[in-house]
Formats: sequence, structure tokens, C-alpha cells
Amino acid sequence: MKKVIKHKSEFSQQEITFTITEKLSKLEGKILAPKKLAEANRLLRKLKTPLPK
Amino acid sequence: MKYEVYSDIEASGDFNIFDFVSIGKNGMIRKRVAFARTEVEDVYNLAFGDVNEEEEINDYVVSDNGDRNKILATIVNIVEAYCKRYPDRWIIFEGSTSERTRLYRMAVGLNFEELSAKFELYGYADDRITPFVKNLKVNAFLIKRKKS
Repeated sequence: MKKVIKHKSEFSQQEITFTITEKLSKLEGKILAPKKLAEANRLLRKLKTPLPK
Repeated sequence: MKYEVYSDIEASGDFNIFDFVSIGKNGMIRKRVAFARTEVEDVYNLAFGDVNEEEEINDYVVSDNGDRNKILATIVNIVEAYCKRYPDRWIIFEGSTSERTRLYRMAVGLNFEELSAKFELYGYADDRITPFVKNLKVNAFLIKRKKS
């Protein structure tokens, strides 16, 4: 049986249904947007101010 | 933010990967939102785009499916649910192009009151993080769920 999570959005006021699938679970840990992640890391390395607490 | 959203979303068991289908004038297009750990503790990168044959995210393609606002609202709902699951995580995101970053900036600015009530919103500009205010020109955003 598939696991389903219902989420009532405070923004859209709509109920969102998240269905946990084996297909996506198999991708866990895989970097799906390597260039984007590299760019984020580049920005974070250049950061001159600390992250907000 | 009473935009229509895509309400049926697939997710991975760890709640880091989300798929939904955009339906519009160019047909059905599979979209993916994925959060990935960065080099900084508790900061996760948000990536969004179409799913290619290698199951990776293509965030440069312009699908022009006529449902931009519905997609943006769906991403906000995913971020909301993600932050509920992981309240201590920061999310960093930026557009793949300057035009897309501008689009995100406009979207955040137009819904600033609602978003800032729920999220801590910061902008990345000139290698500094500053609280986001409307019309602040930023390269990226950094957000986190506000503690209730």
C-alpha cells in the first residue's frame, strides 16, 4: 500500500496529497541538479556574513 | 496567496524529492523539485525544473505551458510542507538564469506579506545575506520556517 501524506496549505488553503513512491525513493541521495548545487556551494563559500541565527 | 495549485504530488520517502505534472497548452510535463544538502550545515539547495531521461532536473528548459503561477504556487506549497518536516533547515534557491531569478524576486515581492509571516526571508547580494525587502536585487534567496 502506498504511503500518503495529506497537507493543508496555509498559503493556498488547499489540501495537498503527497504520495510516497518507490520510483522517487530510489533516487534518494542522488544529486539531481549538480550544477545548481555547485553554484549554491560557490555562493555560500563567498559569503562574507554569517548565516542568520 | 489564493492561486490554483497542483495538489497531487509524488514524493520520495525522505521527503527531499517531489514530482508533479504540469498540464497546459503544450501537454503534460513532469516537473521536479529537489532539495540537496550543501557544504554548509543545515542549508539545503532547492532545484526545480523538468525531468530529463536521466531523471535529472533540467532547469534551463522553457516549457511555456501557460501555468506559471500555478507552478510557482505549487512550489511554495512543497516548500511549506518540506519546512514543516524539516523546521531547522535553511533553503537556498536561485533562478537558473537572471530572468528566472527576477521572476522569483517578483513572486516573492508580490506575496511578501504572506510569505514573511511564515518564513524568515533573506536575500543574497554582494556576497552578503540581508533580510529581504521588496525590490531588493538579489542573486539568491535564503529562507527558513519561522518558529511558531
